[in-house]
Amino acid sequence: MNVYEILEKCLVEIEQGTDVDTVLFRHPEFADELRPILETSIKAKDMAVPAPPADVVRRNRAKVLQRAAEMREAKVKPSSRVWFASLRRLAVTLAVVLMLFVGGTGLVRAASNTIPGDDLYPVKRTWEDVLVLFTFNVQEREQLEFEHENERLNELDELFAEGRSVNVDFAGYVTRQSESMWRVSGISVVTSSQTDLPDEPVAIGAAVRIVGVTQSDDTVLAERIELLPAGSKLPEVEDDEPEIEQENSNGSDQPGEDESSSGSENEAPQVEVTETPEAEVQPKQESFEGTLESIDSKNNIWTVGGKKLDVSTAEITGTPVIGAAVKGEGYLDPSGIFVVTKIEIADSGSGGSNVNDNSNDNSNDNDDDDSNDDNSNDD
Amino acid sequence: MIYSVQASGIFSLWMPVQGIVSIMSAYDEHGALDGLRRSDSQAIGAIYDQYFSDVYRYVRYRVGDDTTAEDIASDVFVRLLEAAQKRQGPQSSLKGWLIATASNAVNDHLRRHYRRPTEALSESLPDHDANVHGEVDQREQNRMVQGAYAQLTAEQQHVLALRFGQGYSLEETAAYLKKKVNAVKALQFRALAALQRQIGEVGP
Repeated sequence: MNVYEILEKCLVEIEQGTDVDTVLFRHPEFADELRPILETSIKAKDMAVPAPPADVVRRNRAKVLQRAAEMREAKVKPSSRVWFASLRRLAVTLAVVLMLFVGGTGLVRAASNTIPGDDLYPVKRTWEDVLVLFTFNVQEREQLEFEHENERLNELDELFAEGRSVNVDFAGYVTRQSESMWRVSGISVVTSSQTDLPDEPVAIGAAVRIVGVTQSDDTVLAERIELLPAGSKLPEVEDDEPEIEQENSNGSDQPGEDESSSGSENEAPQVEVTETPEAEVQPKQESFEGTLESIDSKNNIWTVGGKKLDVSTAEITGTPVIGAAVKGEGYLDPSGIFVVTKIEIADSGSGGSNVNDNSNDNSNDNDDDDSNDDNSNDD
Repeated sequence: MIYSVQASGIFSLWMPVQGIVSIMSAYDEHGALDGLRRSDSQAIGAIYDQYFSDVYRYVRYRVGDDTTAEDIASDVFVRLLEAAQKRQGPQSSLKGWLIATASNAVNDHLRRHYRRPTEALSESLPDHDANVHGEVDQREQNRMVQGAYAQLTAEQQHVLALRFGQGYSLEETAAYLKKKVNAVKALQFRALAALQRQIGEVGP
């Protein structure tokens, strides 16, 4: 055995926990030569680096995936993409059907509570696609798709709670836009110079699909933003960030732009207020009254006279009871939801009240139990 | 409605193949390589998760600096994407390819940047927060060894990084170096002897 082989033998023994002296005792003829070498090998081992910190891993993961998305985009032509997708769709459907034959529905059930990054998550998404594919009634299919989009938003909440960084895609309405931060269905979306944006400008209220990566600061770094057709049925999420940042809100020079380009069939809850063009740009206080019909305490949405009102930032006087007469003030947010600033609940009663002491009353025409004939359009 | 079928389809429909694979085993090299050739983001994410730590630790061992190590390690993965797109990516061993690319990237970096001897750094940046003597001594020693290590040839650095930085066995190291086991035995002997000499020169 030459010295190289003895060295290797000694290194393995040291690796297994034997100390240098004991190791060299077995090879006295090489002891003098190998002692400094073995001591140096321990120093070389001490220099070993631990695994990189989590933030380093996350940051570079996003960077690499972003680069991959850019390269993919540059390569794939839109027309071939659709063809490719449909071919894949067929393969996937076959795979899932096969899976069901083999494993029964247990797998699908097990996958139902997964979130992106989980092993079974692809099964959940595929199952959703299969359900949509085999739902032939148009309305049912739309409802199903709507539920799936809702599920995407719930998954995002869970991902943020866990601080998991993973690829996601979801759809929603744009409620706010600034240079690099968008707000889409209550999710903060960060854009960068590498984000693939639609060719046409995206207005507040437009329906979009976001493809990106979740980040530890509860935002999604967008790889791509696609404009969806106007009238797309998507979940409504009230925006809990009170400040309004609109890139195009510097001045009221084009108040009509938002109105015309936001999805006309946008199902945003709307309160019929005395609308003026300025109201779109600078929220104008409007008053309202009616009967409290339902309370969604989770999202802080109350229904009054058939209209949905966001009360998350409202100053509430009295105890909210279904059937009580309420009145208050608020403004129509650019996202289409009526944001209440002040709301007062009268003693609970079966009908509405006719307290019309406010000169700014709005019309609540379809409020059948409450005829506010004296509503006046104050503008 | 057609839009969501198409839009989500692109990103979710390929998943089952990957999903079924990941049900059976956490990471599947063959599936990952296949996904990589298709620029599949799930596969790329899986490759990254599997190997970033190893690549980072290798690079960090060799360059001795966190920021540089981070830049080079992520650059290695970008090179992987680019190579895969040009159909020049790895065919069998992803890790072998990544370590070889990392080694080349570090060599390029070291050629471009003259490395200031690190023992000078240890004098200019005393450790104020480390109050445990043992810890300070260990860090000082590591800095000194790092300075000595920087003086070795690229090949000697490479073999020490694999054998002692990564903790690979002789056989694994030989596979990454694409050398015979006996050649690696001799190489590691010479590398350790050279490191010992350098420590003697830069050390106290």
